Amino acid sequence: MLEQLINAAINGILLGGVLALLAFGLNLIFGVVKIIHMAYGQFVMLGFYLIYVLTVQLHVPIILSSLITICAMAVLGILTQLLVIEPLLNAPRLNQLLALAGLIIVFENLAMVIWGADYRGIPLSLPILKFGNVYIRCSYLIAFLGALVTLSLLYLFLHKTYVGLAIRATAQDVEIAKIMGVNSRRIYFVTLAAGGALTGIVAAFFAPIYTVHPHFGSSFTIIAFIIVVLGGMGNLLGGFISAFIVGIVTSVAAVLTTVEVADIITLLIFVLVMLVRPQGLLGVRGAS
Amino acid sequence: MKLSSSIGKKALALLILICLIMFPAISPSPYVTHIITLIFIWSYISTVWAYMGRFGLVSLGHGAFLGIGAYVTALLFNFFNLSPWIGMLIGASAAALLAAVLGYACFRFGVIGDYFALVTLAVGELTALSIIALRDITGGSLGLTIRNLGNAPLYLQFSNKVYFYYLSLLFLLFALYLWVRIDKSKMQKALKAIGEDEVAASCVGINIIKYKMAITVTSAFLTGIGGVLYAQYITYLNPHTLSGVGVSLAICFKAILGGMFNLWGPTIGTAMIVSLEEYIRVSYGTKFIGISEVAYGIALISLIIFLPKGLYGTLKETKIFRTKGGAYGDDKREAVIL
Repeated sequence: MLEQLINAAINGILLGGVLALLAFGLNLIFGVVKIIHMAYGQFVMLGFYLIYVLTVQLHVPIILSSLITICAMAVLGILTQLLVIEPLLNAPRLNQLLALAGLIIVFENLAMVIWGADYRGIPLSLPILKFGNVYIRCSYLIAFLGALVTLSLLYLFLHKTYVGLAIRATAQDVEIAKIMGVNSRRIYFVTLAAGGALTGIVAAFFAPIYTVHPHFGSSFTIIAFIIVVLGGMGNLLGGFISAFIVGIVTSVAAVLTTVEVADIITLLIFVLVMLVRPQGLLGVRGAS
Repeated sequence: MKLSSSIGKKALALLILICLIMFPAISPSPYVTHIITLIFIWSYISTVWAYMGRFGLVSLGHGAFLGIGAYVTALLFNFFNLSPWIGMLIGASAAALLAAVLGYACFRFGVIGDYFALVTLAVGELTALSIIALRDITGGSLGLTIRNLGNAPLYLQFSNKVYFYYLSLLFLLFALYLWVRIDKSKMQKALKAIGEDEVAASCVGINIIKYKMAITVTSAFLTGIGGVLYAQYITYLNPHTLSGVGVSLAICFKAILGGMFNLWGPTIGTAMIVSLEEYIRVSYGTKFIGISEVAYGIALISLIIFLPKGLYGTLKETKIFRTKGGAYGDDKREAVIL
């Protein structure tokens, strides 16, 4: 039993890396555009299907198909910004939320029309590593390391480039950023493209781990939300840490109880954190 | 002038009401009556949702109340043979209790706006997951069928579905009546003040928690009853059609697309969405499975983008803009004085 728990905790940490990447995009979009991207998980689902089509049906090497998917998802992000978010930038918050929720209906059913309701996976068998009594799946390890590399690159992008500086400035105060000569409209597009590309990367790392179906995305949207709120909305470091907490809690709870109870526990933690510390575990009250 | 227009409005309302009462007799097919019954039930639910929504208490988790009301009632009936007429009150009270706990926690800790929406969203999903997890009693994702007694009015089951038509019309009228009563009470002014600026409202001496709790519990109780009505009409309960995120969002869609600040908004929005859904489903649904939902989703997004104040709200605004020269109409009309 103890070994099982240790295994679950380690898998949780490894999964936490990818979840951190997933939540990072949602957090970035919330921080910069100040919009809650309800259809974020559905982006991952579409990216997953794209990789599936390229690798399994068109026999493109998986690395190449991942790169193509990342670009395609960035384009999808730009299209979302152009067609849905931009017309609603000054609308009531609720309308923005519901329009993006409408995208969920569109994406899920589009996937249903094109690919049907079957579960589809990418046949890619990776070895399982054994350290003493601990088993680690190679696919998890690759995803974890890949996520860490991507996150470091993102950190460098945000802190060392001009565009990154402009993005951070827009997140802090869009009016002042405009005065400083930042083209906020372009920054919004860059942010949505980056968010889209991130979903492509997440889909690529998930590809050897999960199988995809049209309703694959919704659970990831909720998990990403939970992570973002736990860490404090717009707080990127907080999101990074809480991703590991959520990863460990879900995988340990799933071993101890059932999958549904694990989800219920995560949601309860979410509700309690929202009530007691709505600014997140690491947030500063009044900062938002 | 003012008087005659109000008499005209009343006459029009009476005429529409008579038409609605007569309708099942002249209905071209049971299918149309069925669709209109569904419109009544969902209009009722989205109207009571808008009780809260129009004061800035946007709940994305009304599916929780819908599901609890329906499941408690159906389980009491299936296991203990308790009539849904009584079970309805117990189920709705259970929904109200959840709303009271959730509401008190939220309002006590000052959770408002986006955060309130997200908390309620999570509670809606929690309810759906709990119903699935308790699959030994509730049947889980497979759903639950209400025992069929044939024609048993005492158990809220009718062999002729037309009774549900009248019953749901009655409930809808009650919800609209209560809306008007709330509008005339002190509560409306207090809640409006709270919705606009909480700190200012509490400075004038408004008991924020009391008023917010009152409207939240009322809305949850009536939503619970709506869940029972829907479940008894369909005679089948499923956590995904009663409690999930999808249902909760669908309720908001209906109220907002109609215009949640107007008395008739949620009803008009529901009529529009349910007919749109059915039209697309009937005309395209059989050709490609799923394509009708894609069209429906695109239609929803376009409606939100092009009619940000809802269909009825936008229409009303243009009319007022033409005749009186002022935008907004009812929404910002009266100053907040207590």
